[in-house]
Amino acid sequence: MPSGRKSSRAARTSGSAARTFTVRVVVVLIALAAGARGAAPRFYPDDPIQVDRDAEFDASKATPIEGSNGYDFAEHTFLKPGDRRDIPAVNVNTMDEVPDSSWFTNRIGRRAMAIDEIVRGPNSMDTVVVDDWPIVRDKTSGITPGYRVTDPSGRLYQIKFDPPDHPEMASGAEVIGAAIYHALGYNVVEGYVVEIDPAKIVITPTATTVDMSGRRRPMRRSDVDRLLARAARLPNGKYRATASRFADGIPLGYFKYYGTRPDDPNDIHPHEHRRELRGSRVFAAWLNHDDSRGLNSLDMLDGPEGARHVKHYMFDFGSIMGSGSVFAQVPRAGNEYILEWTPALKTLVTLGLFVRPWILVDYPETAPSVGRFEAEFFDPAKWRPEYPNPAFDLMRPDDAFWAARLVGKFSDEALRAIVAKARYSDPAAADYITRTLVTRRDKVLRTWLTGVNPVVDPQLSAAGVLTFDNAAVSAGVASAPAGYVLTWSRFDNATDSALGVPQEQRVSGPRADAPPAMLQGSDYVSVAIQTMHADFPGWAAPVVVYFRQGTGGWQPVGLTRK
Amino acid sequence: MCRLLLVAVQVLAAAVVYAQEPATRAEELARRREEKSRQLAPPEPGRLERTLLALENGRLFERILNPPEGFYPKIGNITAGGGFAMGPAYRKPLFGERGSFNALAIASVKRYWLLDSRLEWPQLAGGHVFADVHGRLFEYPQEDFFGLGPASRRDDDVIYGFRGSEVGATAGVRPVPWFALGARFDHLTPSVGPGNTGRSIGQVFRGSTAVPGLDAQPDFLRYEFSADLNLREPLGNPRRGGQSKIVYQRFDDRDLGRYSFRRIDVDLQGYVPLVRDRRVLALRAFASSADADRGQDVPFYYQRTLGGPDDLRGFRQFRFRDRNVLLLQVEYRWEIFTAVDGAIFYDAGRVAPRFEDLGFDDLESDYGIGFRFGTRNGVFLRIEGAFGSSGGKHFILRYGHVF
Repeated sequence: MPSGRKSSRAARTSGSAARTFTVRVVVVLIALAAGARGAAPRFYPDDPIQVDRDAEFDASKATPIEGSNGYDFAEHTFLKPGDRRDIPAVNVNTMDEVPDSSWFTNRIGRRAMAIDEIVRGPNSMDTVVVDDWPIVRDKTSGITPGYRVTDPSGRLYQIKFDPPDHPEMASGAEVIGAAIYHALGYNVVEGYVVEIDPAKIVITPTATTVDMSGRRRPMRRSDVDRLLARAARLPNGKYRATASRFADGIPLGYFKYYGTRPDDPNDIHPHEHRRELRGSRVFAAWLNHDDSRGLNSLDMLDGPEGARHVKHYMFDFGSIMGSGSVFAQVPRAGNEYILEWTPALKTLVTLGLFVRPWILVDYPETAPSVGRFEAEFFDPAKWRPEYPNPAFDLMRPDDAFWAARLVGKFSDEALRAIVAKARYSDPAAADYITRTLVTRRDKVLRTWLTGVNPVVDPQLSAAGVLTFDNAAVSAGVASAPAGYVLTWSRFDNATDSALGVPQEQRVSGPRADAPPAMLQGSDYVSVAIQTMHADFPGWAAPVVVYFRQGTGGWQPVGLTRK
Repeated sequence: MCRLLLVAVQVLAAAVVYAQEPATRAEELARRREEKSRQLAPPEPGRLERTLLALENGRLFERILNPPEGFYPKIGNITAGGGFAMGPAYRKPLFGERGSFNALAIASVKRYWLLDSRLEWPQLAGGHVFADVHGRLFEYPQEDFFGLGPASRRDDDVIYGFRGSEVGATAGVRPVPWFALGARFDHLTPSVGPGNTGRSIGQVFRGSTAVPGLDAQPDFLRYEFSADLNLREPLGNPRRGGQSKIVYQRFDDRDLGRYSFRRIDVDLQGYVPLVRDRRVLALRAFASSADADRGQDVPFYYQRTLGGPDDLRGFRQFRFRDRNVLLLQVEYRWEIFTAVDGAIFYDAGRVAPRFEDLGFDDLESDYGIGFRFGTRNGVFLRIEGAFGSSGGKHFILRYGHVF
């Protein structure tokens, strides 16, 4: 027995030694693995990515969320939700551009769009006629009177009416906003201006509505008549409205302008740091989209079973420009948050002798369809939504510059054609809205194209000729600069560092011959471009452009804008 | 042992592969998404958000405070000076929603109570005709009384109880939205008692000579005709326009033949917009004159009063009482921010036994400052401080607008 115990102990000792050996091997392998994890290169072979493939992981488990207007207001007014660090946008590619994604598809920013294409926007049809399309239920959110109908194929549409005192106002705003946001690159739903004959309104027997008691009950003709009493009636006896087609997929509620959806594996970039959401402040300012908040967005679960992804939509443009949806936009809109302490306290302690400047703005006498919209007092940098928006708060000059370049893509002719889509019965209304959009666009460009060094579109030819553009000069919002200072360096991508001695060059225009020594034998070369302009000293902050030697010559692969 | 080593090597091989830097940007992003896919969680709104959402979706405020149908709690005031009151109320749409039945039973912290019911048709004939039949029972046990006339003394403050019933009907036409003509008929059964607290009216004032109507209260028939020109914009919290209202009332003593009288009330309001309607100068002039039939008198409990949160705000409720009343009010209102206005006000007025004694001399007055909380559609709460009167300082917390 003792020898047996000894034998057993020996066996255990042997096993223990083996395990110890194994553990040591494991530790060594881990160390090797860690050692193998070298410094990341600055640029990957697929940089700059043009598409962020954020639909690859199945998001079928995402669940609908519902927003509270009261909570949303209180949270954003009294708290500071989101990551408030002043950092560059995190979803841009190495060229400082926004890749295509489930949020954004580069359209007017990447290619020339024909005016017809811009005007058509998201719509798949020229017009729709909703006569006899049955009402299937009430409209569940928002203050605008309306209901939901289905077309003969069963597609769901939401009908929203214009307010009685401002016929054509909200419906006009809706289609103009949808066309512009679509061209900019956002996902928006199809929307059509329609005229509804009250004699041809049909209610399905299963249609329901919620009465003021909170009970859902069958919808009656009297319910529709009550809605129509709050709607603008046209001289022909019909009611003008917008018919918005529901997007494909399963509704998931709205997206917040901060954080990420915890149930969406593809949503990894905090929304407050997404450039297209930060930059949407510029678009909102241009169009006076003061209702640009999370609750006016839409997430849809799209795709086949097992391979679904969340698609993010901008939604509800009935309260842009001079429209407040059910009334003319209030003068405060765009000028001050609903609750803003400093002007309120000044007004309080001075017993009203302090008058906020926007109160004194004169709005021209225009058609009721215009609402309250102007361009003279408009100051893009001071523009405000209804209450704070985290992504807007975190917008940096480079975000605004990116957005302003997109705004600059809308020509006067394109804007006139977009406004015509609203089919205003008064030509003066269409003309006024067009002129106001043009003037506001120009102010946006002056404000935000000049806020950073506006060097764009750098190219380095195989022959070593560098060309680039000055976006502010090209847009006509700044004079030509005195010159550019170029600092060339060879660049080591593996270590993300410059090699050798930089070489400086001064040129008077956006063109230069690269020093041959810099290009010879280099895989990467960088050039820091400073713009010297007496009116814009901030332009001296360099834009650093990185080029990679490829089979077809030098390709721009990186751009950083201070 | 070999198996353990094999497993370890396999795991580590995978770890080594994963520990390698991604080869592409797409791979880097995919790894981050894969990482997140292992940590998914449903969105979980906080308790406050869930609560607010439930309130909004369920229309709880509307359902609780002002539902179109069913029982709901009624909260507010029964009458001026009655204190905070609440109780159950009921509403039932009738006649295809052209009419409704309303009833309520509320009581206040000062033991005031009211039972009220009415059957009403507010929008007949396309909104051009309105009518109702109504009835109410009430008891107000702590009504202040300081004597009659402009010289009444603050130290004579006594309490009386007032109870009664009203049964009647109203009808009117509204040819345009801003003008209405109305007529009303009521049977009234007033009754005066000692009150439930403090010094009773009978301890200081005795007999109908000094205080008409104190010793006996007959039933009355009341006939009323009114015209209302209302050009206020917006109606609930006006910034411009005005309102002119004139009401003629006839009270017929059905039992004693001692207290039949007539009364005319004229209420003029004007709103001068300043600074694009963000400031308003609000003006009001109210005059009331009652005239008894020959050999008759106006009972004290139906005489108009001044004093309290709606007229002379620097004085106690019902501080002055007589047959004739003149009230002048001016307010400067300024918008502080959406939903909150400030106001500076000045009130002046007096009562008199004869109409010709009313004038701009010897007016009682006060001034003050306050805040109003509400929207374009109306003021739901006002907080004011009134000063500068012989009645001392008064803090006012009141539901609804002053005028």
